[in-house]
Amino acid sequence: MDQKKLISMIETLLFSSGDRLTLTRMADVLETDVKTVKYAVRILADELQAQERGIRIREIDNGYQMHSAPENHEAIARLYEVRRKQGLSQACYEVLSIIAYKQPVTRIQIERIRGTASDSAISKLAEKGLIWASGRLDAPGRPILYETTQDFLRVFGFASLKDLPIIDIIDVPGMIPGMVLPDGHEPGIRDAAETLPEYAGLNIDSAE
Amino acid sequence: MGEPNHPCVLKIPDFEGPFDLLFHLFEKNKINIQDIPIGLITDQYIQYLKDMAKMDMEIASGFLVMASTLLHIKSRMLLPKIEVDDTEKIDPREELVRRLTEYRKFKEVSETLRSREEEWARVVYKAAEPFSREHRVEIPMDLDPVLLQDSARRVFAAYVPCIEDTTPKMSMILQKERFSIKSKIEEILGLLKKKLRMVLKDLFHPDRAGEPGAGREEMVTGFAAVLELCRAGRLKITQEAPFSDIIIYRKEENHGSKKADFHD
Repeated sequence: MDQKKLISMIETLLFSSGDRLTLTRMADVLETDVKTVKYAVRILADELQAQERGIRIREIDNGYQMHSAPENHEAIARLYEVRRKQGLSQACYEVLSIIAYKQPVTRIQIERIRGTASDSAISKLAEKGLIWASGRLDAPGRPILYETTQDFLRVFGFASLKDLPIIDIIDVPGMIPGMVLPDGHEPGIRDAAETLPEYAGLNIDSAE
Repeated sequence: MGEPNHPCVLKIPDFEGPFDLLFHLFEKNKINIQDIPIGLITDQYIQYLKDMAKMDMEIASGFLVMASTLLHIKSRMLLPKIEVDDTEKIDPREELVRRLTEYRKFKEVSETLRSREEEWARVVYKAAEPFSREHRVEIPMDLDPVLLQDSARRVFAAYVPCIEDTTPKMSMILQKERFSIKSKIEEILGLLKKKLRMVLKDLFHPDRAGEPGAGREEMVTGFAAVLELCRAGRLKITQEAPFSDIIIYRKEENHGSKKADFHD
């Protein structure tokens, strides 16, 4: 199959699905390998972007999904009454940020960073499907561990967790190198990207 | 701000927590986080909590913990500095600064999240097609309204006798109860007459598990019987660790009416 045909097929598949399609699924259907599909879908996505087309393609967690062009949203709003989603509270955004970088993380760990109770924010986020209880920590009380969901990536426009803004730790003042903190807490989140779970790893060979 | 359904949401308006309040004070006093005038900040912080108390607002415990941390740091600052090494001196404010810096990073990220959410709320997705995972679903393309109407009529015609037929319901009601709480209670009391203690799982007969539903049914009934006896003060149960064996002890009878109020 030549590339033109492949790109056309991918466009058809993504349109027909509506929902996110994984690279492996597309490779399966098109009887080719993940790498080839990824290359083709990127060409297509770049094309749509460059030509400022009304439909775009975005990457979500090793899959791709079609969406409307953000700059055209006024037109949609005139066509339909767009439901205004109720925003999250400040506490929810803070808790979500902590979970995004520190996952999997317990409620206590979140509260230690925020210095204040966070249970209601956690339950609100779970209710909204932005986080999920991924397991329990093997420690006294077996506390619940939280991770972000695929919907988190979708709602906040990330392709994967590696897409999160990089937080620099160099600006931390008064840090003694190699300092061990009393609570055993790792100082800073400099290496957040390396310690993130394979959840959204960009390694396409291990996709799904 | 406060989420409904959670009755105990205590919050000081505008401040998410003690760190938030501290940052507000830093900003107000144009303070560099690396060199916090701890005396000034402690006084202002505590004054704020006092004002809140005057206004009859409940103060979340995190704010009080921070107040005591600030006082502790302040008192340590007043003492002569402790020589750890010959070279290094520990600044009592260091831990606080580290935590504040850490918190500030996430606070900044949460601003980014908020704006990204707004940005990405401008796009819409197409609703997923109701295709099945098995790609063998055939969608008839020659639908016509008459056929549809006819099909609907036939479905309803077949459905009505179906819901009027009470045979399955009746046979369920009439099914003999294989295990009752009453019989299980008698069984347990009988066993406990012979021995002082026993393990809960010995109550069940694995060989009966072959009968459909019998294993689970017996376990549920048996467990309910144990709880019932425990409630009536006829036995004691202990469990050493989660998921370990539940041990049942006989409790000496201290009241006359034997089958007082067991009901099945």
